[in-house]
Amino acid sequence: MFTHVLVPVASPEDAEATMRAVRPYLESVGGNVTVINVVEKAGGAPDKASVEQREEYAHEIFDSARGVFEDSNITVTTDIRYGTDVAETIIETAHDIDASAIVFTPRGGSRWVRLLTGDVALSLVSESDLPVITLPNND
Amino acid sequence: MTEQELARDLGFLEAYTIGLGTMIGAGIFVLPSIAAEQAGPASMISFFAGGLVSLLAAISLSELATGMPKAGGSYYYVNRALGPFFGSIVGWGMWAGLTFASAFYMIGFGQYLLPGLGQYVGFLSGWGDIGITVAALVMAALLTGVNYYGVKETGALQNVIVLTLVGLIVAFLGIGIIDGPTIGEFNPNGWPAVAATIGTVYVTFIGFEVIATSAEEIKNPSRNLPLAMIAAVVTPTLMYVGVMFVSTGTLSIEVLANSQIPVADVATEFMGSIGALAMIVGAVLATVSSANASILSAARVNFAMGRDKILINWLNEVHDRFRTPYRAIAATGIITLVLIAIGVGIGTLAEVASFMYLVTYALVHVAVIVLRRANPEAYDPAFRIPSVLYPIVPILGFIACIAILLQMNIVVQAIGGVIVVFGVIWYLVYARDRALSQSLVGEAIAPGPTKVTDGQGRYRVVVPVANPETERDLLRMAAASAHAHDSETAEVIAVNIIEVPQQTSLEQDLTFEEARVERQQELLDFARDIADELDVGLRTRAIVGRNAGSAILDVIEEEDADHVLLGWKGKRSRREHVLGSTIDPVIGRASCDATLVKLGPEDGRGEGDIMILAGEGPHAPVAARRATEFAEAADQDTSLTLFNVQEPGDDDEGASPLERGEELIEEFVERAGLEAGQYESRIEVTEDIDGTILDAASEYDTICVGATRTGAVSQAVFGSLPETIGEQTDGTVVMARGPEESAMSIRQAIVRRLES
Repeated sequence: MFTHVLVPVASPEDAEATMRAVRPYLESVGGNVTVINVVEKAGGAPDKASVEQREEYAHEIFDSARGVFEDSNITVTTDIRYGTDVAETIIETAHDIDASAIVFTPRGGSRWVRLLTGDVALSLVSESDLPVITLPNND
Repeated sequence: MTEQELARDLGFLEAYTIGLGTMIGAGIFVLPSIAAEQAGPASMISFFAGGLVSLLAAISLSELATGMPKAGGSYYYVNRALGPFFGSIVGWGMWAGLTFASAFYMIGFGQYLLPGLGQYVGFLSGWGDIGITVAALVMAALLTGVNYYGVKETGALQNVIVLTLVGLIVAFLGIGIIDGPTIGEFNPNGWPAVAATIGTVYVTFIGFEVIATSAEEIKNPSRNLPLAMIAAVVTPTLMYVGVMFVSTGTLSIEVLANSQIPVADVATEFMGSIGALAMIVGAVLATVSSANASILSAARVNFAMGRDKILINWLNEVHDRFRTPYRAIAATGIITLVLIAIGVGIGTLAEVASFMYLVTYALVHVAVIVLRRANPEAYDPAFRIPSVLYPIVPILGFIACIAILLQMNIVVQAIGGVIVVFGVIWYLVYARDRALSQSLVGEAIAPGPTKVTDGQGRYRVVVPVANPETERDLLRMAAASAHAHDSETAEVIAVNIIEVPQQTSLEQDLTFEEARVERQQELLDFARDIADELDVGLRTRAIVGRNAGSAILDVIEEEDADHVLLGWKGKRSRREHVLGSTIDPVIGRASCDATLVKLGPEDGRGEGDIMILAGEGPHAPVAARRATEFAEAADQDTSLTLFNVQEPGDDDEGASPLERGEELIEEFVERAGLEAGQYESRIEVTEDIDGTILDAASEYDTICVGATRTGAVSQAVFGSLPETIGEQTDGTVVMARGPEESAMSIRQAIVRRLES
């Protein structure tokens, strides 16, 4: 299950928390990890932030993800993906890289916020045909 | 790590719709009354002329957008071509223009919502001007919130809105023209009024630039981008002219001028109340979608300015949860609310927005000419203005923009002038010392290619020193470079700068800081001792200044230096700077050869086994030159290895990776002027180019790598690969760039022109 996990992350804090949570599992089986950040495209409507700004932000996220594995010999691969539907893009990427599972930690947030900004976690769980693992966020 | 390219998924139609979506906006629903009052039916000519001016701008922008597809649009191009002075003016100008436009759209929204819909929905009527202002404020706040919280909008919704608007306007035109409008006196107020009205209505034309900002996502951009831009200007222009024709032909000028909902009132005449209601709904949709697009565009301008260090990057923080540039959006929203609340008047709001965009486009035309003449290496637009139209289009476009600006209302000129002056002051106070970019105007004026040559025949290397532990090695490397030239006349200039904070006066601070002055003297004395050992001419400069970066740049210019060599700690800084607050401006702007050295362990600093990255980059040969200079001056045995990496698989011509690598190295040797027997070559074949380079780098004592990016048109100082090697390799890393890319000042260029 943890031989090659895909970790979709949305912010530097999220990246750090998830990477911390997933590390012991990876170390126990010697697995690999691919970290992705999905840049959401509006598909014709103006995007909220320019793509370049989101790419810069993605690099910040990756830095923080790599930071957790600095003293480890597990390789962290990173990738930026683009798509109008974040959950769908994550699942597609998981297939592209032959991931064994998709791993994330819950990020909380009120029902209102999820309603307005979209609930990626829910769509992931309901749409994925690959194992989806939610790890507790210990921070 | 491979980075997926952003898919090019916008065809002509999609790009066109994006442009149309912002163009067919609020303006056409609100402006007919203002335009008719100012110029009567002849305001059709004003709209037509506005369209022509935009067409010229669209052609120039197409070239710039395909040459530099970057966020920030016009601001970005102007800043790159004309430097941070004009960048500052255009950045603030566009931002102000977009906030004024948003306020204008929102008041238009209020007018259509309350007095408009109020005819049908009882409780909306009878609120007067206060009601309109309140409605505008509420909607502006709501839109700011929607964008702040990143509420998902979809392309499908956008397309529905655009199609609805196009449908409504086509119906309005069709039925209106069949109805047989009768035009009264065509030009009641004379041609000057018509010209002045161009300035008023220009606000309806500011949307097409949005296509330019999507340049990276457009398929076959050399064809689709200019076509989509031109179509997105021509279609609305024709529609606007038609709307003015029908409006002024259906209602009298007096009635039209006094209407707050002109298009709906006109529609009532020939489409009845159902038609009017449809127009009102259309106007509400149009004003909201236009304001939405303006707020988001404003945040992009902020982002681009922050990236160029013209604005504090604090504004550009991306929200952890919403992933929006929330501070920039909030700032834009707040200014919009203030503009609505202070009651500037809907006409003035529109005109100030027009003013700022006309200033912007005037400079965009200049930017095209400057870039064409300066022709920096990184500027290679997929679409070039066809030779029959160049330079007529930019020149005509510039003159047209200026002519309209001069025709505008004095109050508007005053407000616009204040914003421009603000941009200038901002540049002087904030941006001048921080901005990364430089003007290419000098390059454009100077005759022919402008390699910096040493006029006096004396080769000078400037070395800023600050740390006694690294001083010796930096001076030794600088001396190596000097020795490679005529050593009788070559000299090294060691510089140390005491930085004094802005708040204190230079003298005042110094008296309290004798220790620092003493340290400076020690450093420079030490430099003289080292120079004696190295047998190289040395001068020292002890400087007290506000900013080490600009002080070093001043020294480089005063000394007419040929080379500047700096030390680097080997850590990229996270936000404000790329490599460091002093390094960024010096490397970015120095007009001579620039070398950045990260020192590794002793006994391998520019000595031992030296690896040269032999790639295709423009500055790779400079790195090779540095390596040979070091090798020649080294006491111990040194070896030079040319390193090249190729991807596996044969290329189109059937050459194997090894053959390709050998051919490249051969070419490289020629470019760098190396001699046979001086070097070994090593070629690796791998999928993971960056990783292999990093692995190989760790086997050598010194790695010499040329800048992969050019300073003039991008933000990275040396390029990400050299910087990564510098950061991740333990050995000594030498990053080098030649003088080609740096721009000369206007003064230098004129001097050169006069001399030639």
